[in-house]
Order: sequence, then C-alpha cells, then structure tokens
Amino acid sequence: MHASEVEEIATLTETTCFHCHEICQDDTIEYDEKAFCCHGCKQVYQLLNDNSLAEFYVCDVNPGKAPSAQNFEFLNNPHFQDKLISFSSQGVSKVNFHLPAIHCRSCLCLLENLQKLNSGIVKTTLNFGKKDLTVWFQEDQINLGQIATLLASLGYEPLISSDEVSKEKRKQVNHQTQLFIKLGIAGFCAGNAMLFSFPEYLGIEDGSLKQLFGYLNIALGSLAVFYSGSDYFKNVWAHLKLGKMTIELPILIGILVGYGRSVYEVFSHTGAGYIDSVSGLIFFLLIGKWFQQKSFDFLSFERNYKSYFPLVISKLEGGKEVNYPLNEIKIGDRLIIRNQEIIPADAVLISGSSQLDYSFVTGESEMVRINAGNSMYAGGRHTGERIEIEIKKELKQSHLTQLWEQQAFKDPLHKTENWENFANQVGVYFTVGLLSLAIIVGSYWLYTDPSRWSNAVVSILVIACPCALAISYPFALGQGIRWLAKSNFFIKDIQAFERMAQVDTIVLDKTGTLTLPSTLEPIAKLTRELSSSEWSALYSLALQSTHPMSRQFVRYVPEKQLIVPLEKFTEKTGKGLEAIIEGVEYRLLNAKYTGHRVPKDNNYIRSESQLYIQIGGISVGFIEFPWVYRAGIEVMIHQLQAKYRVYLLSGDKQAHAGSILDWFPDPSTYQFECSPMDKMRFIQSLQEQGHRVAMIGDGLNDAGALRQAHVGIAISDDHLHFTPASDAILKGEQLAQLPKYLVFSEFGLKLIKLSFLLSLVYNAIGLSYAVQGNLSPLIAAVLMPINSISMLLIANLGMSWKGHALKS
Amino acid sequence: MEIMYVMIALSLLMAVGFLLAFVWSVKNGQQDDLITPAMRILTEEKTNKPL
Repeated sequence: MHASEVEEIATLTETTCFHCHEICQDDTIEYDEKAFCCHGCKQVYQLLNDNSLAEFYVCDVNPGKAPSAQNFEFLNNPHFQDKLISFSSQGVSKVNFHLPAIHCRSCLCLLENLQKLNSGIVKTTLNFGKKDLTVWFQEDQINLGQIATLLASLGYEPLISSDEVSKEKRKQVNHQTQLFIKLGIAGFCAGNAMLFSFPEYLGIEDGSLKQLFGYLNIALGSLAVFYSGSDYFKNVWAHLKLGKMTIELPILIGILVGYGRSVYEVFSHTGAGYIDSVSGLIFFLLIGKWFQQKSFDFLSFERNYKSYFPLVISKLEGGKEVNYPLNEIKIGDRLIIRNQEIIPADAVLISGSSQLDYSFVTGESEMVRINAGNSMYAGGRHTGERIEIEIKKELKQSHLTQLWEQQAFKDPLHKTENWENFANQVGVYFTVGLLSLAIIVGSYWLYTDPSRWSNAVVSILVIACPCALAISYPFALGQGIRWLAKSNFFIKDIQAFERMAQVDTIVLDKTGTLTLPSTLEPIAKLTRELSSSEWSALYSLALQSTHPMSRQFVRYVPEKQLIVPLEKFTEKTGKGLEAIIEGVEYRLLNAKYTGHRVPKDNNYIRSESQLYIQIGGISVGFIEFPWVYRAGIEVMIHQLQAKYRVYLLSGDKQAHAGSILDWFPDPSTYQFECSPMDKMRFIQSLQEQGHRVAMIGDGLNDAGALRQAHVGIAISDDHLHFTPASDAILKGEQLAQLPKYLVFSEFGLKLIKLSFLLSLVYNAIGLSYAVQGNLSPLIAAVLMPINSISMLLIANLGMSWKGHALKS
Repeated sequence: MEIMYVMIALSLLMAVGFLLAFVWSVKNGQQDDLITPAMRILTEEKTNKPL
C-alpha cells in the first residue's frame, strides 16, 4: 500500500465545515443542506442567516473561524470595567477589544453589523490594521462580559492584554501623531522657503521684494528648526549630559549654524541665507524618522509572564466559585483549575490528579504526573480532570516569576549599553573631524583674508552635515524590516535589525524551537481498526526503543497495555523496529524505510514524523506525530555552523535529544537540563567573552536568555499565541530560512556603509567650495537635496533588490 | 510689481490653509487607519439577502 492511497482513503471520509472550513473530525452536523463540524459553527451560521448577515460567507473566501465557548462574565468585575471602558456618557459606553482572529473582509461585514445581533449595541467600528474593534453600547441592555462572550461565540475571542502594555502602545501612538505633524510642517516650510528663494536662484535684483522674502524665510525656518527639529535638541542634550556624542550632534550643529547665519544675513541685508537648504534637510531627516517607525500593531514584543497567565482565577469561597482578577491571589487561597488551564502561582494539589506540562516554562518536554499533596509550580499547564489547589506563594515570589527580578529585566536600556550602532560610532569621528577642519580652515583665513573666515566656517559646518547616515540609515533598515515582515519575520525596530547584522554566535533552544510544539495532537491514518492484542504487541515493541518516535508511540497507545514477550527483536537506527510476537511479524517503520513516496508539508518533514505500522508484512497505515523537528532544520544548522558559533540549549534530559546530537559533533556546543536561569547565564558568559549573541527560543523558559542576548528571536507558530518578550518574532515554519535573513541584515549594513562613502564624495565636492569661503546658497541648495535623495534611492533600491531575492 | 505682494499673501494664505487642514486631519485621527475605510466601502451598501 502506498502513501498516496492512504491519502485517498483519508480524503474520502473528509468533509469540511461550511463555517470554519476545518475538516469535520467525528460526526458531521447537517443543517440547511450544509455540513458543520460542531454545534458552535452551526449556531454561528444560524445566527448570521437569521439576522440577514449571511453576506459574511460571500464577502471573502473561507471567512469563518471556529467559535469559542469561553465565558467572559469576569469582565464585569470593576477591575476590568475601569481598564477597558474608555468613555461613558448618558448610559452609552465605549469599549475597545483586540480581536486577533480578524483576517478578511468578511470579518468587517460581520463585526460592523453587530447591532443586528444585539440591540444593546449601538455602533461598532473596526480598525483592520490593528485588529481592534470599538463598540459603543447601552449599559442598561448589555454588559462588557456579554459583548465579549458574543464576540467569542462568533469566533472572535477578544484578547484582553495586561495594562502596562496597552499604556506603552498609547504613548507610542501619540508620538507617531506628533512626528507626522512635525513632518507635515517641515514639508510646508521647505516647499515655501524654496519658493521664496527663487529670486535668489534666478539672480533677480529687487531689493524690497528680496527683503520681504528674506523675512518670510526666517519665519518659515524658525518654525522648521524649533518645532519640527525639536527632537534633535532634546536628544542631543540628553546624550551630551551623559557625555556621549551621537550622529545627531553634527546634524544639529549644521542646522543651527545654517539657521544662525541666515538670520544674520537677512537682518544685516548681506544675503539670502540657507533657509531653503536647512528646512529641506529637516524635512528629509523627518521622512527618515517616520519611515523607520514601522510598527506591527497586531504583535507585542513586550509581553511578560503576566500575559501568559489567565486573567481571572476561580477562587473557592464557602463552597462556591467566585472569579477574581489574577493579582488578587493570596497565600492560602483555594483555586479551581480545569483541563488545559495554567497554574497561576506555586501551589499544592488538594484534590484530583494532574498531568502537568511544563514545557513552555522549563523546556522539559516530558509531562509530570502530580498527585494530591504534591506541589506544582506556576506556569504549568494542567491536563486532566478538574482539580483543586491551594496557593503556597504569592504571584511575585513564584518559582517562575523570579526570572523577571533579574537585572536584565529591570534595566530597559541594557541591550544598548554595551553596543554602539554604526551611525553613532562614525558620528564621533565625524564630529571631531568636522570641527577640526572648521577650526583649521577658519584660522587659515583669519591670517590670510579675515573677511572670508566666517563664510568658510559656516559653509563647512552646513554642507558637511552627515545626512547620508541620518537618511540612508532609517531607510535601509526600515526597508529591511518591511521585507522581512513579508516573510513572517517581524523585527521590533531598526536597532534590533542592526544588532542582528553583527551577530557572531547563535544559541538555539531545542524544545518548541527546533521541534514543533507539543500542543498538536498525533493524527492516525489507519486502514483498519487494530485489535487490543495488536496494540499490546506494538506497545511492547515500541517500549524497547529510546527513539523519540517510539516514546511518542508509547504515549499515544490508547490504554495501559499488557507487555508481551518479543522474539528476534531488532532496531535499525534511523529505520525502525521489528520483532516477532506470537508468530506474527510486527514492524514500526520510518517512512523512508517503507519506500513510500513521502509528501512534503510546509511545516515539517513528514518522513521524520510518520510512523508506519506493518503487521504480518502488510501495512496498516501510519500515525503522524507532531513532536519532531521542523522542516529543513538540519540544513539550517549546517549553514549556520559554517559561519557562526552555534550552541544548543535545552531544558530536556540528554536522553530525549534523539538525532539532533548528530548535528552537533562538538559536545561543548550543547547543554542539557538547563533551567531558565542557566540559559540566561550561558548567554551572559558568551557575551563576557566578547561574542555578539542571537538567542532563538520560544517559551517562557527562554525569556531570560532572549532578554539577555543581543538579539532575542522568539519562534511562534501562531502569532496570536503568547510569545515571550523579544526583539523579533519569527514564524515557526520560516525558521529554516534564518541564515538567509541574517545575510540580508548584513547586506543592509553594508549598503549603509556604501552610501556613507558616496556621501563623503558629495561632501568633498561641497567642502572644496566651502573651504574657499565660496559656497553660494545656490550650490548648497542643489547639493544638499541631491545628497539626501541619492541616499534615499540607494537605500530603497538596494534593499528592495535583495528583498525580492529573499522572497523567491 | 505691487501685485506680487498680494499674490504672495494669497499663496501663503492658501498654503497655511492646507497645512492647518493637514494638522486637523492628523489630530482628528483620519490618518490613523488607512486600511479599513477602503474595505468598508465595498461592503456597506450591499443588500443583505439570505443565502
């Protein structure tokens, strides 16, 4: 039997749900001549159809999302009411929900017509880019909890974020608006100043008109310099106070000298000044600043452990369950934890039993069995029946949260502390060089021809402004961020992009990063039902092996099985197991060994994840386990090893490592059984040896290392899910492309250096006039914009050229 | 050449008018969301008929 036939059998029985388009697993529900995978989906369809909202299904392809039964009644707690309701007047309130599930035009059709579903809702407005929904509702008819529950039941479960993050976002938005206005005003000033400089360009001699234009230019220039350029004053001053020189210092000197000279010339009736060049420069600089502020509103790079925890807990009070916000946990509280919920603080299990999954918190992939009386640590995900726990430690003192008390988390600037970006490094030399040149030339003229010294010094300072770096920098790196985002690699800011280009050491986490997350269920595609004696035989066979697949299989086998004796057991490394049990030959085989043509999937190599079963020489199908390495990981590791020092860290035991160790021949390059703290210290010690480290991890257990590293890249399979605080978020399936992305970031930095050289050529031309004291405003007005625009073009074209190559 | 003074005054007045309109539109949040309105226009006017 061939794999293609197996596939065929599978497709014959598959029906897709009319609403969510997922494969209907168990029993299909028929309604209105359409198939639905669950009652939830059917109800959504019914609701939409009854309220004449069925347009939802025609607006876009596959719009539906499986609904969630999550109850949001807890939002009616005053704690959340205050946080969420942004405005309230005359019984009508306004609330903002973040709905990560928004994905297509149909979502818009539905969400902006919510008032048809509930008359308490007055109006809704959707912001598609941010995936935010603003709802105006009547307080006496519907409450927050009901709205959120309604949204969840339609498949749009709101994500209620912790307050710190949302505050940070608001500040950012405010800053963006400010910058936008400054940019507009700078553009206005630059354009009009150029217009008023026209008589000067053309050599028109009309005294009174020239005078008027001069004054108008001064007015425009003052607005551009002191309002639009105000950030330069603030930043330069802040850095000078710390004793630091940045690239902004020579820029500000150039701007101020040019402006001051212009004011002098206009008021003393000696010339027209450089206002057009100065305001044009500010305009270009601000475009650069605006361009680099690409923010991914739907992502969060700043999450801490609190956003991983549940928002509410159900406390047991006098035999009744009461919901409280998370931060009201006290020692001694009795809590109820249900299947798949997370333990919020260190506790002791009172009743029931639990399988705890700590993989996200510690990196240990094995489940831990907990019985009544045993302690459980915060962050573990509970699987099993409803349990009752008693809190032993407060939230902040928990085992897990200790990590956030480390220095790296308290100091927001620690990443930039020991790291200078290229622009600022050059900025120091540039400033010193420029000032010395001005002094030398100035003193030369003072001796030979005193009438020319001030002219020469002013021209040098104006024309040599390092706008190349200030403009090509944000454009090249901003473009870089945009191109990488198209490949689902989201970088927080251009500084992180630059740090990535300078990395020489890469540290990889194993569980969840190189392997796929444990949350996926194995899929069995068997051609027939297996009898219990057959299961027992296979179970006994698999028990003999320590291969990760066999361990997976052991865990997968339905119930506790009898162990039966084996004859002629053989294990062929990388191929499979075989043995004769009660006269029948049983085999568990890797797909390669069966000779099947293996269909490749985007997410992982199937041949690594499928376990074929043969009984008596006949194939009975296969079981696909998700807990294997991602596609192309082996190639990726080899590529990285050729260029970087590559380390592997894992919270797991070495015995679970499997074939991954074949890729790390040097035992000093891997470390097992690392606690989250160990990982962080490992990175720290590498940094102390002078290495620039990129950490690639996924779970909370990597949070410290991600924070400590020069660049922390969080791997996420679904960006709606929690990712620890990081500098970049990379979609899991793209991980194998990482070497390409690193090369791309290096290219970005090379491009900047190249444009810097080119701008030095422009500067040399300008300076050759300037040192003679002959720089006319016209030459300045031509050279400076040409310089800026060519920087802009090089940055954009260069990055787009490489970016296209990145995609193909 | 006296006409120039009037024209300059007029041109500045117009430019300032546009600038103020721009500042107002930014502050008013019109530049905040440039995606959704483009999508909204395609959906709003349709009559909702059941399937």
